[in-house]
Amino acid sequence: MEDADRLMARVRNRDAAAFEALYDANHRLVYGVAFRMLGDTSSAEDVTQAVFLKIWSSPNLFVSGNFAGWIVRITRNRCLDVLRSKSRTNVELPEQQPDDDPLEERAFASLEAAQVRSALKELPAEQRDLIELGFFGGATHEELARRTGVPLGTVKTRIRTGLRRLRASLERTVTV
Amino acid sequence: MNAHQSMLDDVAAYALGVLPAAQAQAVAAHLETCEECREEYRLLRPAVTAIGLSAEACLDASSAADSVAPPGSLLKKRIMRQIRPNVGEMRAVRPIVWPAYAVAAACLLVALATGIFNISLNSELRQNQAQLAQLAAHNAQTTRELAYQRTALADLVSPDSQHYTVQPGEVVRHGTRLYLAMRALPAPPKGKVYQAWTLHNGAKLMSPSVTFVPNRNGVAVVQLPVNASQIAAVALSVEPEGGSKQPTSTPTFVLKLT
Repeated sequence: MEDADRLMARVRNRDAAAFEALYDANHRLVYGVAFRMLGDTSSAEDVTQAVFLKIWSSPNLFVSGNFAGWIVRITRNRCLDVLRSKSRTNVELPEQQPDDDPLEERAFASLEAAQVRSALKELPAEQRDLIELGFFGGATHEELARRTGVPLGTVKTRIRTGLRRLRASLERTVTV
Repeated sequence: MNAHQSMLDDVAAYALGVLPAAQAQAVAAHLETCEECREEYRLLRPAVTAIGLSAEACLDASSAADSVAPPGSLLKKRIMRQIRPNVGEMRAVRPIVWPAYAVAAACLLVALATGIFNISLNSELRQNQAQLAQLAAHNAQTTRELAYQRTALADLVSPDSQHYTVQPGEVVRHGTRLYLAMRALPAPPKGKVYQAWTLHNGAKLMSPSVTFVPNRNGVAVVQLPVNASQIAAVALSVEPEGGSKQPTSTPTFVLKLT
């Protein structure tokens, strides 16, 4: 299959077939993230639709590089908009793409969902819970501290330690 | 724990996306100036990206307690219909068949009318909720656009920015961001737009970038979606609406970035 860079170049030229190929390759990822964050299939479908229509209407938002990473970020931010409308969060992931090391980002994007899940399970529960609740629950670090009863400084240190450990674990799976 | 160690923890929280907007902006600004923190962010960001990928697993693990069926083909049809309004499935026209017990069915319909009315109300409520969610999303989008405009303004007037004068205005570079700030751009002919072009370091051919039209005073400020440090030259030309893959007119300007 064509890589996402080429497909997005065709989408910029209003190529519906390229858009359809992008949808086929990525809709499960978008829907999976939306369902994990919102918890119901109807909202997850609405967000999936909104994300892909955004890709069609504003293809220039994606420059090049790790398409999966980018689409996860815009999906998460769209879900945060929904959660925010219910006053459940005020955080956001930076949507712009990284300025350097796109090769490394691409290598991580090639990971299978099950591999990442397995690596997450290897983390100590107190790190994994904070990371998953932060990413999928849309909670701020202060809310994480409140909900878990752990001091704020410890929350941040555990997040950092957990992310470093997760990266190290995933590095054994991919060739960076 | 010293202050910088604490900042590295903040960088992790920023990478995970759990900082409130104000704190996230502060960390983003710090990353512009601190190599050590930038390296930490570069290290952690792929791991955060991977966390998102894990969500797809809940569609695969059919036996898992938190599994869910993947979206059906109807969702795809709905989306494709919106991008290709003229290409859709033709609805089959079914012949009208009157049942043998039409009168009895009519009586049943009357009995169901109240129920249907309730369903209609529920549907209306659902539509209103969807509209509210859309308004909230629009509000968030506007907030992001305002933040973008503030960043652009700050970049354009920053003493650290590099300004390159071109015939209709300036090209401005600030860090990794690159702007076209046009002041006296004539309106393009009908059916045409301006299109920016960028030449990546080491590349031989210009790549197509954004298209735009100036306002009636000939003013346009456009951020190019590139990493400025990787760009060797910028050009501008008049192209058909929708843009071109290669320039089709004499460039308004070609600027080598030094």
